[in-house]
Amino acid sequence: MSSNLPLSDDDVHAYADGKLPEERRAGFKAALERDPALAARIAAIRKQNADLRDAFDPWLAEPLPRELIAAAKPARDRKPARGRWAIPALASAATLIIGIGLGWMGRGEVLRLDGTPTTFPREAALTHALYATDPNRPVEIWANEEDRLVRWLSKRLNFPLHAPNLHAMGYDLVGGRLVAGNARPAAQFMYENADKQRISLLVRKDDEHTAESAFRYALEDGIGVFYWIDDACGYALSGRVDKAQLLAIARVVYGELAAAEAAAPKL
Amino acid sequence: MPDSLPHPDLVAALPRLRRYARVLTGDLNRADDLVQDTLARAWEKRRLWQPGSDLRAWLFTIMHNVHVNQFAVRRREQSESSLDADDGPVAGWEIPVRAVQSDRVELAEVFAQMGRLPVEQREVLILAAVEELRYEEIARVQCVPIGTVMSRLNRAREKLRRMCEVSPSPLKVIK
Repeated sequence: MSSNLPLSDDDVHAYADGKLPEERRAGFKAALERDPALAARIAAIRKQNADLRDAFDPWLAEPLPRELIAAAKPARDRKPARGRWAIPALASAATLIIGIGLGWMGRGEVLRLDGTPTTFPREAALTHALYATDPNRPVEIWANEEDRLVRWLSKRLNFPLHAPNLHAMGYDLVGGRLVAGNARPAAQFMYENADKQRISLLVRKDDEHTAESAFRYALEDGIGVFYWIDDACGYALSGRVDKAQLLAIARVVYGELAAAEAAAPKL
Repeated sequence: MPDSLPHPDLVAALPRLRRYARVLTGDLNRADDLVQDTLARAWEKRRLWQPGSDLRAWLFTIMHNVHVNQFAVRRREQSESSLDADDGPVAGWEIPVRAVQSDRVELAEVFAQMGRLPVEQREVLILAAVEELRYEEIARVQCVPIGTVMSRLNRAREKLRRMCEVSPSPLKVIK
Protein backbone atom coordinates (compact mmCIF):
# COMPACT_ATOMS: atom_id res chain seq x y z
CA MET A 1 0.00 0.00 0.00
CA SER A 2 1.13 3.52 -0.66
CA SER A 3 3.36 4.86 2.08
CA ASN A 4 2.60 8.55 1.72
CA LEU A 5 -1.17 8.33 1.89
CA PRO A 6 -3.18 7.20 4.85
CA LEU A 7 -5.32 4.60 3.12
CA SER A 8 -7.24 2.45 5.52
CA ASP A 9 -8.60 -1.02 4.87
CA ASP A 10 -12.04 0.55 5.04
CA ASP A 11 -11.17 2.82 2.12
CA VAL A 12 -9.91 -0.12 0.10
CA HIS A 13 -13.17 -2.02 0.55
CA ALA A 14 -15.29 1.04 -0.07
CA TYR A 15 -13.39 1.82 -3.26
CA ALA A 16 -13.60 -1.75 -4.54
CA ASP A 17 -17.33 -1.80 -3.79
CA GLY A 18 -17.89 1.54 -5.50
CA LYS A 19 -18.94 3.07 -2.18
CA LEU A 20 -16.12 5.54 -1.57
CA PRO A 21 -17.49 9.09 -1.44
CA GLU A 22 -16.98 11.01 -4.66
CA GLU A 23 -14.59 13.56 -3.13
CA ARG A 24 -12.14 10.86 -1.98
CA ARG A 25 -12.19 8.84 -5.18
CA ALA A 26 -9.76 10.98 -7.19
CA GLY A 27 -7.10 10.79 -4.48
CA PHE A 28 -7.56 7.05 -4.26
CA LYS A 29 -7.17 6.65 -8.00
CA ALA A 30 -3.88 8.53 -7.90
CA ALA A 31 -2.65 6.20 -5.16
CA LEU A 32 -3.72 3.21 -7.24
CA GLU A 33 -1.57 4.28 -10.16
CA ARG A 34 1.50 4.51 -7.96
CA ASP A 35 0.89 1.27 -6.14
CA PRO A 36 0.50 -1.93 -8.18
CA ALA A 37 0.00 -4.02 -5.04
CA LEU A 38 -2.97 -1.89 -4.07
CA ALA A 39 -4.36 -2.12 -7.59
CA ALA A 40 -4.04 -5.92 -7.45
CA ARG A 41 -5.85 -5.98 -4.13
CA ILE A 42 -8.73 -3.96 -5.54
CA ALA A 43 -8.89 -6.22 -8.59
CA ALA A 44 -8.96 -9.32 -6.38
CA ILE A 45 -11.86 -7.96 -4.32
CA ARG A 46 -13.82 -7.10 -7.45
CA LYS A 47 -13.16 -10.54 -8.92
CA GLN A 48 -14.36 -12.12 -5.70
CA ASN A 49 -17.51 -9.98 -5.74
CA ALA A 50 -18.24 -11.04 -9.31
CA ASP A 51 -17.65 -14.71 -8.45
CA LEU A 52 -19.97 -14.47 -5.45
CA ARG A 53 -22.70 -12.94 -7.58
CA ASP A 54 -22.23 -15.59 -10.27
CA ALA A 55 -22.33 -18.32 -7.65
CA PHE A 56 -25.37 -17.09 -5.74
CA ASP A 57 -27.48 -15.30 -8.37
CA PRO A 58 -28.85 -18.48 -10.00
CA TRP A 59 -30.88 -19.06 -6.84
CA LEU A 60 -32.93 -16.01 -7.70
CA ALA A 61 -34.29 -17.71 -10.81
CA GLU A 62 -35.73 -20.67 -8.91
CA PRO A 63 -39.50 -20.91 -8.72
CA LEU A 64 -40.79 -20.26 -5.22
CA PRO A 65 -42.77 -22.82 -3.23
CA ARG A 66 -46.40 -21.87 -2.72
CA GLU A 67 -45.98 -21.74 1.05
CA LEU A 68 -43.64 -18.80 0.74
CA ILE A 69 -45.90 -16.94 -1.66
CA ALA A 70 -48.81 -17.56 0.68
CA ALA A 71 -46.79 -16.30 3.65
CA ALA A 72 -46.17 -13.01 1.84
CA LYS A 73 -49.88 -12.25 1.96
CA PRO A 74 -51.30 -10.42 4.96
CA ALA A 75 -52.61 -12.93 7.49
CA ARG A 76 -56.26 -11.93 7.00
CA ASP A 77 -56.01 -12.64 3.26
CA ARG A 78 -54.57 -16.10 3.69
CA LYS A 79 -57.21 -18.54 2.62
CA PRO A 80 -57.12 -21.92 1.02
CA ALA A 81 -56.59 -21.58 -2.70
CA ARG A 82 -59.87 -23.35 -3.48
CA GLY A 83 -63.44 -22.27 -3.31
CA ARG A 84 -63.44 -18.79 -4.78
CA TRP A 85 -65.54 -18.94 -7.85
CA ALA A 86 -67.34 -15.70 -7.20
CA ILE A 87 -65.04 -13.54 -9.32
CA PRO A 88 -67.00 -10.54 -10.54
CA ALA A 89 -67.71 -10.37 -14.23
CA LEU A 90 -65.71 -7.65 -15.90
CA ALA A 91 -67.76 -7.23 -19.01
CA SER A 92 -71.32 -6.33 -19.70
CA ALA A 93 -73.43 -8.26 -22.15
CA ALA A 94 -73.34 -5.31 -24.54
CA THR A 95 -69.57 -5.23 -24.97
CA LEU A 96 -69.66 -8.98 -25.35
CA ILE A 97 -71.92 -8.81 -28.38
CA ILE A 98 -70.02 -5.95 -30.04
CA GLY A 99 -66.79 -7.85 -29.56
CA ILE A 100 -67.71 -10.91 -31.53
CA GLY A 101 -66.93 -9.42 -34.92
CA LEU A 102 -63.50 -8.20 -33.86
CA GLY A 103 -62.72 -11.54 -32.35
CA TRP A 104 -63.19 -13.31 -35.62
CA MET A 105 -60.89 -10.91 -37.45
CA GLY A 106 -58.20 -11.73 -34.94
CA ARG A 107 -58.70 -15.43 -35.36
CA GLY A 108 -57.59 -15.36 -39.00
CA GLU A 109 -54.38 -13.71 -38.03
CA VAL A 110 -53.37 -16.22 -35.39
CA LEU A 111 -53.77 -19.03 -37.86
CA ARG A 112 -51.45 -17.31 -40.29
CA LEU A 113 -48.90 -16.62 -37.56
CA ASP A 114 -49.10 -20.19 -36.45
CA GLY A 115 -47.98 -21.39 -39.85
CA THR A 116 -44.46 -20.16 -39.20
CA PRO A 117 -42.35 -22.40 -36.96
CA THR A 118 -41.55 -20.52 -33.81
CA THR A 119 -40.52 -20.89 -30.20
CA PHE A 120 -42.87 -21.26 -27.25
CA PRO A 121 -42.20 -17.76 -25.83
CA ARG A 122 -42.67 -16.26 -29.29
CA GLU A 123 -45.92 -18.14 -29.71
CA ALA A 124 -47.02 -16.82 -26.31
CA ALA A 125 -46.07 -13.24 -27.15
CA LEU A 126 -47.84 -13.32 -30.52
CA THR A 127 -50.97 -14.79 -28.99
CA HIS A 128 -50.84 -12.18 -26.26
CA ALA A 129 -50.36 -9.32 -28.73
CA LEU A 130 -53.26 -10.52 -30.79
CA TYR A 131 -55.87 -10.82 -28.05
CA ALA A 132 -54.73 -8.49 -25.25
CA THR A 133 -55.06 -5.47 -27.53
CA ASP A 134 -58.63 -6.34 -28.34
CA PRO A 135 -60.70 -4.06 -26.14
CA ASN A 136 -63.96 -5.90 -26.59
CA ARG A 137 -63.29 -9.53 -27.25
CA PRO A 138 -60.01 -10.49 -25.60
CA VAL A 139 -61.43 -13.82 -24.50
CA GLU A 140 -63.81 -16.47 -25.67
CA ILE A 141 -65.39 -17.21 -22.31
CA TRP A 142 -65.52 -14.53 -19.64
CA ALA A 143 -64.52 -14.79 -16.02
CA ASN A 144 -68.11 -14.82 -14.82
CA GLU A 145 -68.18 -18.34 -16.22
CA GLU A 146 -64.77 -19.33 -14.92
CA ASP A 147 -65.98 -22.75 -13.91
CA ARG A 148 -67.24 -23.52 -17.38
CA LEU A 149 -64.15 -22.00 -19.01
CA VAL A 150 -61.79 -24.16 -16.99
CA ARG A 151 -63.83 -27.31 -17.59
CA TRP A 152 -63.99 -26.69 -21.31
CA LEU A 153 -60.27 -25.94 -21.69
CA SER A 154 -59.36 -28.92 -19.52
CA LYS A 155 -61.41 -31.11 -21.81
CA ARG A 156 -59.91 -29.71 -25.01
CA LEU A 157 -56.34 -29.92 -23.73
CA ASN A 158 -57.01 -33.23 -22.05
CA PHE A 159 -55.57 -32.41 -18.67
CA PRO A 160 -56.90 -30.57 -15.59
CA LEU A 161 -56.29 -26.84 -15.87
CA HIS A 162 -56.56 -24.13 -13.27
CA ALA A 163 -56.80 -20.37 -13.68
CA PRO A 164 -54.45 -18.94 -11.04
CA ASN A 165 -55.77 -16.22 -8.77
CA LEU A 166 -53.60 -13.12 -9.27
CA HIS A 167 -55.75 -10.75 -7.27
CA ALA A 168 -52.98 -10.21 -4.74
CA MET A 169 -50.80 -8.87 -7.56
CA GLY A 170 -53.53 -6.50 -8.69
CA TYR A 171 -54.73 -8.58 -11.64
CA ASP A 172 -58.13 -10.16 -12.08
CA LEU A 173 -59.16 -12.82 -14.54
CA VAL A 174 -60.86 -11.51 -17.66
CA GLY A 175 -61.47 -14.95 -19.13
CA GLY A 176 -59.80 -17.34 -21.50
CA ARG A 177 -59.80 -19.03 -24.84
CA LEU A 178 -58.53 -22.02 -26.73
CA VAL A 179 -55.73 -21.15 -29.18
CA ALA A 180 -54.11 -23.11 -31.95
CA GLY A 181 -50.57 -23.59 -30.72
CA ASN A 182 -47.57 -24.55 -32.82
CA ALA A 183 -47.95 -28.24 -32.35
CA ARG A 184 -51.16 -28.67 -30.39
CA PRO A 185 -53.94 -26.60 -28.85
CA ALA A 186 -53.11 -24.34 -25.95
CA ALA A 187 -55.18 -22.47 -23.38
CA GLN A 188 -54.85 -18.75 -22.79
CA PHE A 189 -56.00 -17.04 -19.60
CA MET A 190 -56.21 -13.26 -19.77
CA TYR A 191 -55.89 -10.94 -16.76
CA GLU A 192 -56.30 -7.22 -16.34
CA ASN A 193 -55.37 -4.72 -13.62
CA ALA A 194 -57.05 -1.47 -12.58
CA ASP A 195 -55.06 0.42 -15.25
CA LYS A 196 -56.43 -1.90 -17.95
CA GLN A 197 -52.98 -3.39 -18.35
CA ARG A 198 -53.34 -6.96 -19.56
CA ILE A 199 -51.19 -10.00 -19.06
CA SER A 200 -51.86 -13.51 -20.26
CA LEU A 201 -50.89 -17.02 -19.32
CA LEU A 202 -50.47 -19.58 -22.09
CA VAL A 203 -50.61 -23.22 -21.04
CA ARG A 204 -49.95 -26.28 -23.13
CA LYS A 205 -49.35 -29.94 -22.53
CA ASP A 206 -45.84 -31.01 -23.42
CA ASP A 207 -44.50 -34.47 -24.03
CA GLU A 208 -44.31 -36.63 -20.96
CA HIS A 209 -40.76 -36.66 -19.59
CA THR A 210 -40.08 -33.10 -20.68
CA ALA A 211 -37.58 -31.88 -18.11
CA GLU A 212 -38.74 -29.24 -15.67
CA SER A 213 -37.05 -25.91 -16.03
CA ALA A 214 -36.42 -22.74 -14.08
CA PHE A 215 -38.02 -19.48 -15.15
CA ARG A 216 -36.62 -18.17 -18.39
CA TYR A 217 -37.17 -14.77 -19.89
CA ALA A 218 -37.59 -13.61 -23.47
CA LEU A 219 -38.46 -10.22 -24.89
CA GLU A 220 -40.50 -10.51 -28.07
CA ASP A 221 -41.38 -7.29 -29.88
CA GLY A 222 -41.64 -5.36 -26.64
CA ILE A 223 -43.61 -8.07 -24.87
CA GLY A 224 -41.91 -9.69 -21.91
CA VAL A 225 -42.41 -13.44 -21.50
CA PHE A 226 -41.48 -15.61 -18.54
CA TYR A 227 -41.82 -19.26 -19.40
CA TRP A 228 -41.15 -22.54 -17.67
CA ILE A 229 -41.96 -26.21 -17.80
CA ASP A 230 -43.47 -28.00 -14.85
CA ASP A 231 -44.98 -31.45 -14.68
CA ALA A 232 -44.82 -31.88 -18.47
CA CYS A 233 -46.75 -28.65 -19.09
CA GLY A 234 -45.38 -25.52 -20.65
CA TYR A 235 -46.39 -22.17 -19.12
CA ALA A 236 -45.71 -18.70 -20.51
CA LEU A 237 -46.71 -15.45 -18.84
CA SER A 238 -46.69 -12.52 -21.27
CA GLY A 239 -47.24 -8.82 -20.94
CA ARG A 240 -45.92 -5.36 -21.59
CA VAL A 241 -44.83 -5.22 -17.99
CA ASP A 242 -41.52 -4.42 -16.36
CA LYS A 243 -39.37 -7.55 -16.12
CA ALA A 244 -39.09 -7.61 -12.31
CA GLN A 245 -42.83 -7.12 -11.93
CA LEU A 246 -43.58 -9.83 -14.48
CA LEU A 247 -41.22 -12.21 -12.67
CA ALA A 248 -42.97 -11.50 -9.36
CA ILE A 249 -46.31 -12.32 -10.99
CA ALA A 250 -44.84 -15.45 -12.59
CA ARG A 251 -43.79 -16.67 -9.15
CA VAL A 252 -47.31 -16.19 -7.86
CA VAL A 253 -48.67 -18.08 -10.88
CA TYR A 254 -46.28 -20.90 -10.15
CA GLY A 255 -47.28 -21.00 -6.47
CA GLU A 256 -50.99 -20.87 -7.28
CA LEU A 257 -50.69 -23.72 -9.77
CA ALA A 258 -48.72 -25.81 -7.30
CA ALA A 259 -51.41 -25.18 -4.69
CA ALA A 260 -54.18 -26.12 -7.09
CA GLU A 261 -52.38 -29.28 -8.11
CA ALA A 262 -51.91 -30.30 -4.50
CA ALA A 263 -55.60 -29.71 -3.77
CA ALA A 264 -57.07 -31.22 -6.94
CA PRO A 265 -58.53 -34.69 -6.98
CA LYS A 266 -56.87 -36.92 -9.55
CA LEU A 267 -59.00 -37.18 -12.66
CA MET B 1 -47.71 4.76 9.82
CA PRO B 2 -49.01 2.28 7.28
CA ASP B 3 -51.25 -0.57 8.19
CA SER B 4 -49.99 -2.64 5.34
CA LEU B 5 -46.88 -3.65 3.45
CA PRO B 6 -46.71 -3.34 -0.35
CA HIS B 7 -47.53 -6.88 -1.31
CA PRO B 8 -46.03 -6.85 -4.84
CA ASP B 9 -42.74 -5.53 -3.41
CA LEU B 10 -42.85 -8.21 -0.77
CA VAL B 11 -43.29 -10.95 -3.38
CA ALA B 12 -40.55 -9.38 -5.49
CA ALA B 13 -38.21 -9.51 -2.47
CA LEU B 14 -38.92 -13.20 -1.79
CA PRO B 15 -36.11 -14.69 -3.90
CA ARG B 16 -33.54 -12.43 -2.20
CA LEU B 17 -34.94 -13.22 1.23
CA ARG B 18 -34.74 -16.89 0.43
CA ARG B 19 -31.15 -16.57 -0.72
CA TYR B 20 -30.20 -14.69 2.44
CA ALA B 21 -31.95 -17.36 4.51
CA ARG B 22 -29.97 -20.08 2.77
CA VAL B 23 -26.74 -18.26 3.45
CA LEU B 24 -27.69 -17.85 7.11
CA THR B 25 -28.87 -21.39 7.76
CA GLY B 26 -26.81 -23.34 5.24
CA ASP B 27 -29.81 -25.61 4.82
CA LEU B 28 -32.46 -25.45 2.11
CA ASN B 29 -35.37 -26.61 4.26
CA ARG B 30 -34.53 -24.55 7.29
CA ALA B 31 -34.07 -21.58 4.98
CA ASP B 32 -37.67 -21.77 3.81
CA ASP B 33 -38.87 -22.03 7.41
CA LEU B 34 -36.83 -18.95 8.21
CA VAL B 35 -38.39 -17.04 5.30
CA GLN B 36 -41.86 -17.95 6.57
CA ASP B 37 -41.05 -16.89 10.13
CA THR B 38 -39.58 -13.65 8.81
CA LEU B 39 -42.68 -12.85 6.76
CA ALA B 40 -44.94 -13.53 9.73
CA ARG B 41 -42.80 -11.21 11.86
CA ALA B 42 -42.79 -8.56 9.13
CA TRP B 43 -46.59 -8.53 9.02
CA GLU B 44 -46.73 -8.26 12.81
CA LYS B 45 -44.34 -5.33 12.73
CA ARG B 46 -45.70 -3.72 9.59
CA ARG B 47 -46.31 -0.41 11.33
CA LEU B 48 -42.58 -0.02 11.88
CA TRP B 49 -41.82 -0.02 8.18
CA GLN B 50 -41.30 3.43 6.68
CA PRO B 51 -43.01 3.66 3.29
CA GLY B 52 -40.50 4.65 0.65
CA SER B 53 -37.57 3.09 2.48
CA ASP B 54 -35.79 -0.03 1.24
CA LEU B 55 -38.18 -2.88 2.06
CA ARG B 56 -35.51 -5.45 1.26
CA ALA B 57 -33.06 -4.07 3.86
CA TRP B 58 -35.86 -3.92 6.43
CA LEU B 59 -36.75 -7.55 5.76
CA PHE B 60 -33.09 -8.59 6.01
CA THR B 61 -32.95 -6.94 9.43
CA ILE B 62 -35.98 -8.88 10.61
CA MET B 63 -34.58 -12.10 9.19
CA HIS B 64 -31.25 -11.56 10.88
CA ASN B 65 -32.95 -11.10 14.25
CA VAL B 66 -35.26 -14.07 13.83
CA HIS B 67 -32.29 -16.22 12.90
CA VAL B 68 -30.13 -15.02 15.79
CA ASN B 69 -32.91 -15.78 18.25
CA GLN B 70 -33.57 -19.22 16.81
CA PHE B 71 -29.87 -19.94 16.72
CA ALA B 72 -29.46 -18.95 20.37
CA VAL B 73 -32.26 -21.30 21.34
CA ARG B 74 -30.77 -24.16 19.39
CA ARG B 75 -27.36 -23.54 20.87
CA ARG B 76 -28.75 -23.65 24.36
CA GLU B 77 -30.37 -26.94 23.47
CA GLN B 78 -27.15 -28.46 22.25
CA SER B 79 -25.37 -29.01 25.56
CA GLU B 80 -22.02 -27.54 24.68
CA SER B 81 -20.22 -26.37 21.62
CA SER B 82 -16.85 -24.69 21.48
CA LEU B 83 -17.32 -21.50 19.56
CA ASP B 84 -14.68 -18.87 19.42
CA ALA B 85 -15.12 -15.61 17.64
CA ASP B 86 -13.52 -16.44 14.37
CA ASP B 87 -14.09 -20.09 13.67
CA GLY B 88 -17.44 -19.48 15.16
CA PRO B 89 -20.93 -20.66 14.51
CA VAL B 90 -20.40 -22.44 11.24
CA ALA B 91 -23.82 -23.97 11.22
CA GLY B 92 -22.79 -26.44 8.58
CA TRP B 93 -23.36 -25.96 4.89
CA GLU B 94 -25.70 -28.67 3.88
CA ILE B 95 -26.52 -27.23 0.50
CA PRO B 96 -25.26 -29.45 -2.30
CA VAL B 97 -22.88 -27.82 -4.71
CA ARG B 98 -25.17 -28.63 -7.61
CA ALA B 99 -27.55 -26.06 -6.13
CA VAL B 100 -25.16 -23.50 -7.60
CA GLN B 101 -26.32 -24.39 -11.11
CA SER B 102 -23.03 -23.52 -12.66
CA ASP B 103 -20.47 -25.30 -14.76
CA ARG B 104 -17.64 -23.10 -13.59
CA VAL B 105 -15.51 -25.00 -11.14
CA GLU B 106 -14.16 -21.89 -9.43
CA LEU B 107 -17.71 -20.82 -8.62
CA ALA B 108 -18.42 -24.17 -7.01
CA GLU B 109 -15.25 -23.58 -5.01
CA VAL B 110 -16.36 -20.11 -3.90
CA PHE B 111 -19.72 -21.56 -2.97
CA ALA B 112 -18.24 -24.41 -0.95
CA GLN B 113 -15.75 -22.19 0.88
CA MET B 114 -18.47 -19.70 1.77
CA GLY B 115 -19.97 -22.49 3.82
CA ARG B 116 -16.82 -22.65 5.91
CA LEU B 117 -16.95 -19.01 6.94
CA PRO B 118 -18.54 -18.01 10.24
CA VAL B 119 -22.13 -17.04 9.67
CA GLU B 120 -21.66 -13.33 10.40
CA GLN B 121 -18.90 -13.17 7.80
CA ARG B 122 -21.02 -14.97 5.22
CA GLU B 123 -23.76 -12.48 5.94
CA VAL B 124 -21.51 -9.47 5.44
CA LEU B 125 -20.20 -10.84 2.16
CA ILE B 126 -23.64 -11.56 0.76
CA LEU B 127 -25.01 -8.21 1.85
CA ALA B 128 -22.02 -6.16 0.66
CA ALA B 129 -20.85 -8.01 -2.45
CA VAL B 130 -24.01 -9.62 -3.76
CA GLU B 131 -26.89 -7.48 -2.49
CA GLU B 132 -24.72 -4.35 -2.62
CA LEU B 133 -26.25 -2.85 0.47
CA ARG B 134 -24.61 0.26 1.93
CA TYR B 135 -22.30 -0.46 4.86
CA GLU B 136 -24.58 1.53 7.18
CA GLU B 137 -27.50 -0.67 6.15
CA ILE B 138 -25.47 -3.79 6.85
CA ALA B 139 -24.62 -2.41 10.30
CA ARG B 140 -28.35 -1.94 10.90
CA VAL B 141 -29.16 -5.46 9.68
CA GLN B 142 -26.55 -7.04 11.96
CA CYS B 143 -27.19 -4.56 14.74
CA VAL B 144 -23.48 -3.78 15.19
CA PRO B 145 -21.35 -0.63 14.78
CA ILE B 146 -20.15 0.05 11.26
CA GLY B 147 -16.55 -0.57 12.37
CA THR B 148 -17.52 -4.16 13.15
CA VAL B 149 -19.03 -4.54 9.69
CA MET B 150 -15.82 -3.31 8.11
CA SER B 151 -13.57 -5.61 10.10
CA ARG B 152 -15.87 -8.57 9.38
CA LEU B 153 -15.81 -7.69 5.71
CA ASN B 154 -12.03 -7.46 5.75
CA ARG B 155 -11.63 -10.80 7.46
CA ALA B 156 -14.25 -12.52 5.34
CA ARG B 157 -12.72 -11.40 2.06
CA GLU B 158 -9.22 -12.30 3.11
CA LYS B 159 -10.25 -15.69 4.43
CA LEU B 160 -12.35 -16.59 1.40
CA ARG B 161 -9.55 -15.53 -0.94
CA ARG B 162 -7.02 -17.65 0.93
CA MET B 163 -9.28 -20.67 1.12
CA CYS B 164 -10.03 -20.53 -2.59
CA GLU B 165 -6.36 -20.16 -3.42
CA VAL B 166 -4.92 -22.81 -1.15
CA SER B 167 -5.52 -26.51 -1.76
CA PRO B 168 -7.70 -26.83 -4.79
CA SER B 169 -10.19 -29.19 -3.22
CA PRO B 170 -11.18 -32.40 -4.99
CA LEU B 171 -14.52 -30.78 -5.56
CA LYS B 172 -16.44 -31.71 -8.65
CA VAL B 173 -19.37 -29.92 -10.09
CA ILE B 174 -22.31 -32.25 -10.08
CA LYS B 175 -24.64 -31.64 -12.95
